[in-house]
Amino acid sequence: MPNDVIIETRNLTKVYRDFWGRQKVRALKALDLEVRRGEIFGLLGPNGSGKTTTIKLILGLLFPTSGQVLCFGRDATDVTKNERIGYLPEESYLYKFLSAEETLDFYGRLFKMSRRLRRQRTSELINLVGLQGAKKRQLREYSKGMTRRIGLAQALINDPELILLDEPTTGLDPLGIRDMKQMILDLREQGKTVVMCSHRLDDVEDVCDRIAILYDGELKELGRVDSLLKVRDVTEIHARGLSEKTQQEIRQLIQREGGELVAMGNPTMTLEQLFLDIIAESEAHPGRRVVRKEGAA
Amino acid sequence: MVLETELLPFREWLLWGPFVWLLVMGSLAVAGLFFGSLVAVIRHGPAAGLAATGRVLAAAVGDLFCMSPRRVWALAWLAVKDSLRRRVVVVFIVFLLLLLFAGWFLDPSSDHPLRLYISFVLTATSYLVLLLMLFLSALSLPNDLKNKTLHTVVTKPVRPSEIVLGRMLGFVVLGTTLLALMSAISYVFVVRGLAHSHEVVQASLAAVDPRQDADQGAVPLRGESTRVNGHRHDVRIDRKGQGLLEMTQDHYHRVARRQDGEKTVYEVGQPEGMLVARVPVYGKLRFMDSQRHVAERGTNVGDEWAYRSYIQGGSLAAGVWSFEGVTPTAFSDNLQLEMTLGVFRTYKGDIEQGVAGVLLLRNPKTGLTVEAKVFKSREFSTDVHRLPRKITPTAAYALQPEKDPDGRIKYVRKPLGADAKAQYDLFDDLTDDGQLEVWLQCLDPEQYFGVAQPDLYLRARDASFALNFVKGYFGIWMQMVLVIGFGVMFSTFLTGPVAMLATVGMLIGGFFRGYMIELALGQTWGGGPVESLIRILTQDNVVSDLPEGIRTTVAQTVDSVLQRGLWVVAQLLPSFGDYDCASYVAYGFNVPGNWIAERGLTALGFAVALFVVGYFFLKTREVAR
Ligand SMILES: Nc1ncnc2c1ncn2[C@@H]1O[C@H](COP(=O)(O)OP(=O)(O)O)[C@@H](O)[C@H]1O
Ligand SMILES: [Mg+2]
Repeated sequence: MPNDVIIETRNLTKVYRDFWGRQKVRALKALDLEVRRGEIFGLLGPNGSGKTTTIKLILGLLFPTSGQVLCFGRDATDVTKNERIGYLPEESYLYKFLSAEETLDFYGRLFKMSRRLRRQRTSELINLVGLQGAKKRQLREYSKGMTRRIGLAQALINDPELILLDEPTTGLDPLGIRDMKQMILDLREQGKTVVMCSHRLDDVEDVCDRIAILYDGELKELGRVDSLLKVRDVTEIHARGLSEKTQQEIRQLIQREGGELVAMGNPTMTLEQLFLDIIAESEAHPGRRVVRKEGAA
Repeated sequence: MVLETELLPFREWLLWGPFVWLLVMGSLAVAGLFFGSLVAVIRHGPAAGLAATGRVLAAAVGDLFCMSPRRVWALAWLAVKDSLRRRVVVVFIVFLLLLLFAGWFLDPSSDHPLRLYISFVLTATSYLVLLLMLFLSALSLPNDLKNKTLHTVVTKPVRPSEIVLGRMLGFVVLGTTLLALMSAISYVFVVRGLAHSHEVVQASLAAVDPRQDADQGAVPLRGESTRVNGHRHDVRIDRKGQGLLEMTQDHYHRVARRQDGEKTVYEVGQPEGMLVARVPVYGKLRFMDSQRHVAERGTNVGDEWAYRSYIQGGSLAAGVWSFEGVTPTAFSDNLQLEMTLGVFRTYKGDIEQGVAGVLLLRNPKTGLTVEAKVFKSREFSTDVHRLPRKITPTAAYALQPEKDPDGRIKYVRKPLGADAKAQYDLFDDLTDDGQLEVWLQCLDPEQYFGVAQPDLYLRARDASFALNFVKGYFGIWMQMVLVIGFGVMFSTFLTGPVAMLATVGMLIGGFFRGYMIELALGQTWGGGPVESLIRILTQDNVVSDLPEGIRTTVAQTVDSVLQRGLWVVAQLLPSFGDYDCASYVAYGFNVPGNWIAERGLTALGFAVALFVVGYFFLKTREVAR
């Protein structure tokens, strides 16, 4: 169903230029992505690989050098799409002279929300992110972790269908990270679509349904997390209740093919291993890597 | 006050003001479209570039016409909140301190204390408020971009137009509040600063008529007051003990005598006549020659300053002012006529004596004309003539226009016949629908009266001084709106300090606007830029024509294009000084309604244009760069 594609990028390229139009950085090279309704999509990559750039292009904060982004089927520069979007920036860029309550009320006023609804959402969200004790304090007094929380609350003020989170867990303590991950999973439970980017593997591994691995502005891997982690050229077989004869046949088969049976089945590797492999390979062979077709695994 | 450029009546202004605005906006739109698509084509190639331009234009329609007041207001609130954090209060405290110490600078013994006080408070307020607004408006958006706080705003369903308008509105609201507070405090400061009273020096009182005895009481007295604020008044007291401390330093006091037991007490009131807003009603001036033919101008006596035109004495030559709005409600039951005449003598005569003239009042509808007053003109001073409502004229007749055989219009004197009366009512007989003509003739042969349109005016009932004071602040308010408009507009695409410089540059450029318009209209010697350049290179003088030929034709064609461009550029500059009406208030003249309306609409025109331009800059920039 085409309706289920929330974000679509086609051949999306971004070149940062300086004031005189000279090329500085090719931050994103011909990216093709689709994000579907109800999934948690992870953009994974080391620092400077183009994750934030991708998110900003989706939001229309940057204009593509070439290619196209469609969000809810509309052009990224169309502001009306923002009615259904929530965005948590890399660092929470909020007005430091407002208190948490004022912040949420202000952002609420940018949507079609009545005063009552704003009040209600504000107190709900403050409870959700656990800032009840600090809701009257100016954000300038907040710690990094608290700023992240109010940033998330701000992103959720309009009860968005699509939430874009840029490095949601940075700056949080382990407990905070656990809460954040749980909140993201809860959002999926509520039927929302989440796009998050991170350079932390464990974040992505724990919550994402599908991931794209970016390296130096190029898409290196794309697929379901579980299938990406399958090592395809190794088969692992653990079996029970096979007759001696069958086992013999399998062994013979393997022997005839010149193999040695260790165990049967597909082992999984860690995401870290995959990530490091990709980086090593990209450094050895720069350029586009053939991304395996999804489901081909 | 000499008014060399007259203020157009509002209705006439409405004919061309909006037209100029549309023309300038149109030129801006064409230029913007051209350069915008040029940049887009260079960046993305022809097809994609033009498509992008189209998209921006399509989006602009929605962005400019479907703004949400709620969002604009939320953004304005944010701008106010942000500014308050930046210690706007400090400016306010500086203002209070200035007033506190002003007593040291302001010399109350000046000849015109009101002018001093008013120009002080208005100048102090305008510098403080304009400077503050310059900083706030030019730094706020760039700051938001630098701190990336704008990222969280533009990723909400907020249109760029709402951001620009919200900013402008927020600063205007803040500035208005500040100005309102400052004007209230200034008003109190001025009124309190000028308030004073004197005592009558009883020893100085003597009977006006030396034959009468002052101690008898019940005789007119004259004397002196004590010196307060560096001045004293002459005192005149009538038989009944009522009187005046006469006009000094633009004011007078009332005084009343009271008996307190044995003692005689003179009670002197607060200054009067100082906090006024005179309402001059200006007429349209035309001339009659010595045969009462309608003439273009008066006589030219060879004065270099062409401001005044001259009326020949001892003839039928006249200057005729046509007034409108002369009604009993606007004038309180009499006609106060003030005039400043230039006198040109062909022989010296008795220089002390003054030149005789006569004022006629004529009803333009019926032609009824009365000789209302014969007077001796004093030079270089304003003569004040008060004509009562019931006028008993030295002569009355009708002046009716007739066509000469050679087609010229001549006013012919006709007897009134049965319509003649001994007394005429100013409003019932001499005005028609508020229209009245005042004819000025010079009676001394060989002498001339020099007049310009603003030289003779009627003084209607005074307007409220407090309201006029507020109008003075409205002038500052309009300047403030311009500063905010330019500041915010420039800050949509420049960094803060540069935006500030650019705004200041525009304001300074505004002072050269008049000259640029002259250049653009070809009213200066030496032709346009290219022609002037040729003249400089060939060391040609500026008055002779260039030799005819292809070179000159090309140069002048290019010039005429450049001059059109220059005209548009000149219109883009705000003539900042035009919004200053402090001198009206300080000199005690009411700021006319059409001044307010015309300047107000011009400022609004600027604000709208700046908003639209700012929108396009913000719309076409990448917020996250
Ligand atoms: N405003 C900018 N101007 C120039 N280069 C930029 C800008 N923003 C990001 N870059 C460059 O683009 C590349 C991708 O950056 P980014 O998308 O922020 O990476 P990530 O979020 O994955 O860490 C980096 O090389 C970075 O230096
Ligand atoms: Mg990043």
